[in-house]
Amino acid sequence: MIDNLYKTFIDATRNVFNLMLHLSEISDHPGEDFKSDEGVDIAVSIVGDLEGEVIYRFPVSTSLNMVKIMSGMEFEAVDDFVTSAISEIANIISGNVLTELSASDLKCDRLPPVQRKPGEDPNKDKEYELKTSCHINTSIGEIGLEIRLNRI
Amino acid sequence: MISPFKSMNNIVQERDVCIMLWKDEYELGVPLIDAQHKELFKRVESFLQALRSATSWDEKIPEINKTLDFMKRYVVEHFHDEEEYQKSINYPGYKCHKQIHDDMVNYVLDVSKQYEKCNTNEPLMQQFGGRLLAWLINHVAAEDQLIAAYAKKKGVSGNDR
Repeated sequence: MIDNLYKTFIDATRNVFNLMLHLSEISDHPGEDFKSDEGVDIAVSIVGDLEGEVIYRFPVSTSLNMVKIMSGMEFEAVDDFVTSAISEIANIISGNVLTELSASDLKCDRLPPVQRKPGEDPNKDKEYELKTSCHINTSIGEIGLEIRLNRI
Repeated sequence: MISPFKSMNNIVQERDVCIMLWKDEYELGVPLIDAQHKELFKRVESFLQALRSATSWDEKIPEINKTLDFMKRYVVEHFHDEEEYQKSINYPGYKCHKQIHDDMVNYVLDVSKQYEKCNTNEPLMQQFGGRLLAWLINHVAAEDQLIAAYAKKKGVSGNDR
């Protein structure tokens, strides 16, 4: 299952976006050069049989579009409301991945999502057994996903 | 027999409410639970409209207070009814689902306590609103649909109850 983590995260993102945002056209490609503006970077730490973190990078326009779809309201800037809603989505995607992993006897838990300023990356130089990044493309904008995990 | 909150139920049925957040696909086919979900969505929508309106924070406070009082009471009542329904159909995901409910109740109570300490805390309420919106949509669109799918598979759909 750990070798398939990339796909597990993409599938979970696709399912959550489909159910919550009614987005069905979602594609992905590996890549480390995700250019995030002053958007929302959310880190979800993983503990248990796998340890590390997953970072979701939501550019401003993607974040605002996501919250607009959910609420039916217009949002002009990334504020506390938008950040909190986006963090919860990252939390939900991560939770769904951990549920999938538990079916393969990998027992993990997640810590509450934490917002990071773009560019702020305290764990950038740490060594990870599994380190992969990708871009997820949707009709409302791109999202960056960075997975960094070690087997315990 | 699940305990009927008839007064709440009737509120939704009697008013022809247009709830922007609500989508028909969220219906489980369990009349009581569906009515409670609609009421929940309606209240959350009113809360969000007040929270995001262009008025001053002081003007928003009465609606914020009303919603928090409602959430503390109604979320507990609704979750209880939904859990009773799950038990009545021997839903295998009951324990996990209850844990999700308990976590949300604790979050609502925790936010209420923080808010009562300083009721001018707008950032706290904006954070609460954002999380509540995403949580509610996911919970009803995903987690609760698993109950409906199980009931349908077992031939114990809500309309029989």
